Amino acid sequence: MNCDQLREHYELYALGIAEEPERGEIRIHLNRGCEVCGAGVKRALETTALVGATAPPAQPSPQLRRRILASVGSERKTLWWIPVWAVGLATIVLLMILNGSLSSTSARRAREAAQLREQMSVQTAEIARLSEAFAILSGPSTTEASFGGQQPRPPHGKVFVNPSRGVLLIASNLPRTPADKIYEMWIIPKGAKPVPAGLFQSQDDGNAMHVRPGTVDLASTAAVAVTVENQAGADQPTTTPLIVAALAR
Amino acid sequence: MILPIILAVYAGPEDRALIERLKRRDPQALAELYDLYGRMAYSLVLRVVRDKAIAEDLVQETFLRVWNRVHSIDAEKGAIGPWLLAVARNRAIDYLRSSEGRDRNVAVEWDETEHAPLYREMEAGILLSDQVRRVKAAMDKLAPNHRTVMELAYFEGLSQSEMSARMGQPLGTIKTWVRTALQSLRDELGVAVSP
Repeated sequence: MNCDQLREHYELYALGIAEEPERGEIRIHLNRGCEVCGAGVKRALETTALVGATAPPAQPSPQLRRRILASVGSERKTLWWIPVWAVGLATIVLLMILNGSLSSTSARRAREAAQLREQMSVQTAEIARLSEAFAILSGPSTTEASFGGQQPRPPHGKVFVNPSRGVLLIASNLPRTPADKIYEMWIIPKGAKPVPAGLFQSQDDGNAMHVRPGTVDLASTAAVAVTVENQAGADQPTTTPLIVAALAR
Repeated sequence: MILPIILAVYAGPEDRALIERLKRRDPQALAELYDLYGRMAYSLVLRVVRDKAIAEDLVQETFLRVWNRVHSIDAEKGAIGPWLLAVARNRAIDYLRSSEGRDRNVAVEWDETEHAPLYREMEAGILLSDQVRRVKAAMDKLAPNHRTVMELAYFEGLSQSEMSARMGQPLGTIKTWVRTALQSLRDELGVAVSP
């Protein structure tokens, strides 16, 4: 579909209610950097945000700000600032809870638990990623390859490939990607097209660790590479690799 | 009451520095972000879920999500207010869909509209400008059916097919109403989206 055919769907896309095939087509246009659709969707997102800002004004409780800051570790849960009347009120509320007077308690607890799960899921994912990395590093059948040795200011590091556990990339000196770009790793089979192996970002200090779990056929793998791609990733590399680690087999 | 408005006026030019500080994990920056957009996000979420306690929980989730994903927004050109509001709306609609037992991903991929890199090069402080009043006036001027479909789309996240079922109207009628409503908003805002 061309941009003219998609114009009327920009707002629906921005609202999250565009249907196929238009939604997929707009995504394709955006991923390939289409300026017409990019500008159209941006305007639609502006309008959508403005509609959101027209909701009837309401005032959250003062505790919400404190809760949010506490959830990122900014405010410690000290009690010295609580006035006497608040302590009394809290006591009454506590008694009401104990008496089962607040019927919504369990629902609220459930939501709080959901928030904690959101926080924990980030940490759990990180732990899982480190476990996968460790399994690859410690596997007896792991093969390693270095990259970046000959370049003047290279991203450098190592790739570890374990046939049964997957591929681990550890890199340093990676340049910061533009905001709408991301690194994509590729497993390159001998005589065949590169296979996408996941997206990742480098940290502010230029370091990165990326794991692609799963089996790898070492005998038919020529190299592991990394390119810079659009945020959604690509099916095939669209830029020159800035990392190529050839596997010596 | 007045402080958020005063802060709001100056929000645009300071967005860049605010994003940079959020990326450096400065909690004070999160406090300032909340002071700028917290009430707006809460108002939006409350409009969707219509329960104060749930709205506060969802706003907390929203700020936590922005805090955890702020690395993905462009500090130079990113528009953090519209992005935050999109995250808030998605959290609220996700909750609404889940509590109503509606399928969460029939035709909609919510995360797609909160993709931070999409929120670039927008007018600084757009959410804190006179444009909000203009959009509200434009919404008020819409014909009742047109306003209803806009509200169902925005505040309940209904697809056009779902609106058709909800309102008992043919899908073609709903599409016409949506198209007309959007065109009216564009006209009111002077946005030249359509040829």
